[in-house]
Amino acid sequence: MATRNRNWKWIIIFLLPIAAMYIAFFIYPFIFVFISSLMKWNGISPMEFVGFGNYAKMFGATTFQISVRNNLIWAASLGFLQVGLATIVAFLLARRPRFWKGLRTVYFVPKVISGVAIAMLWKAVYNAEYGALNAVLSLITGQEWSLNWLGEFHTALAAIIAQEVLYIGYFMIIILAGVMSIPTSYYEAAEIDGASVWQQETLITLPVVWGIVVTAMTLAMAYGLRHFEATFLMTGGGPGHSTSTLALMMYDKIGARKLGEASTLGTILVVVGFLVIVTLNNTLGRKSLTGEDQ
Amino acid sequence: MNILKTVAGKTIKWVFLLFFFAVAVLPLVWLFLTSFKTEAEFISYPLSMPAAWQFQNYIDAVNVAKMHILFMNSVVIASFATLLNLLITSMAAFVVSREIFFLRNSISNVIVAGVLMPIVAFMVPYLTLIRTLGLYDTRMALVLTYAAINIPISFFLIKSFMISIPKDLEDAATIDGCSFSQRYTKVVLPLSRSGLVTAGTLTFIWSWNEFIYALLLTSSSKVRTIQLGISFFTTQFRSNYPAMYAAIVLAMIPSVLVYVFFHDKIISGLTAGAVKG
Repeated sequence: MATRNRNWKWIIIFLLPIAAMYIAFFIYPFIFVFISSLMKWNGISPMEFVGFGNYAKMFGATTFQISVRNNLIWAASLGFLQVGLATIVAFLLARRPRFWKGLRTVYFVPKVISGVAIAMLWKAVYNAEYGALNAVLSLITGQEWSLNWLGEFHTALAAIIAQEVLYIGYFMIIILAGVMSIPTSYYEAAEIDGASVWQQETLITLPVVWGIVVTAMTLAMAYGLRHFEATFLMTGGGPGHSTSTLALMMYDKIGARKLGEASTLGTILVVVGFLVIVTLNNTLGRKSLTGEDQ
Repeated sequence: MNILKTVAGKTIKWVFLLFFFAVAVLPLVWLFLTSFKTEAEFISYPLSMPAAWQFQNYIDAVNVAKMHILFMNSVVIASFATLLNLLITSMAAFVVSREIFFLRNSISNVIVAGVLMPIVAFMVPYLTLIRTLGLYDTRMALVLTYAAINIPISFFLIKSFMISIPKDLEDAATIDGCSFSQRYTKVVLPLSRSGLVTAGTLTFIWSWNEFIYALLLTSSSKVRTIQLGISFFTTQFRSNYPAMYAAIVLAMIPSVLVYVFFHDKIISGLTAGAVKG
């Protein structure tokens, strides 16, 4: 066993704390969330086994269906739109235009500020009477804008998504690091051969950083599936339940003392998250410079 | 022909770059300026400059929101969570990067796999765990939770760092009589300082910005963190928007300061995780 290494006593001592914490906060919850999803439970009285009853109830509930739809919209928005924009900006900055270092810093700063502060900031911007957005639009179009961006059914979801998608700093930095590792000689050679910018970016840059881009897309989609904060703070899921997400629904279930149903949503989150990651990595995969699968 | 060097190409490029610049900067600038207005100015026109700079708003912000308590709680919780996290992950990383033992690689892979876990799905188990430990509504609840959640990423970063430290130094130390734990404290740990700072910075920032579990695991204002506190501003400040905006600006300052001092560590930590894949 481990006794082959004569330091085994120390090894165990050094691993004990992390093992304890990891089991308590990762392994136990992973098992517990699944088991409690099969129960009816208010948190105080004993659990009551209901099999897949919670799941049936969830799949039939309108709020659930709306939440799933919203989470998918979030995942697609962050995974494709945000990462796509971040990639374009990274490709542009990698050619080192004027002020590129300053731009890089500026793009990243909002990401260091907490999501809570950003959400409150945009709540202020979207304010119907006193917000900056309506004021700017009024100025530009000459008409009086007083749209309640977060309160109207057809704008609320887009408004919340916008304030997250447009902050591309995080993924941009990661992809930029990848792009800048490509030797400039490749591009010089290509330019001499008459390659256009489009050809250079798609045939040199993209294949090299493709792995990073896929990782970014996977991460972004995972974030989209877990979305909670901004919606909680800006609309609470409203108007109606139109901006609700799975995590938000989960939180509400806990407040309503329906812990079994909350766990059901949690389990669905874990499973769907896992499926998205696996599917993405298998379909888009990672191709090296020569086009082989890695 | 290089399309980016043409007038049309250049214009589009800069419109693009400046658009994202505007989105990143202008709302923050607007918030900052508005926080110095009077309530009357605020109501009359959102895009005006304040006639006189109302520093009183900032004083009101601290008083109404009890910013000093919020701030202290966030500092205490984030600091202790980071220290605990660094301690246990560096101990494990030390052992995994240096010793060969049964299941070494499996343990390492399992820990790092934790990065993919949607922590938000664990609301019910975490709530139950904290309640069972009798820690509901305590700072300790968040210290433990935050330290634990950041284990995978810290372990990954510190292990990657420690692997690149040559073993010869420890072999020499062992010959000189160093014990196992002394190899850790006197040789490897000091050499891992850069990796520790990177992991620590990321953990600290994450803990500082965390909201969901602060919301779930605490309730009284005595242990409330800044982020949780911000969510109460609307009810606390009611119609005094400028003061509320001042409070939000104050809450943002620590994050910006940390970025100014640690931005290279932050970025290297983030890129290390993602580029490796």
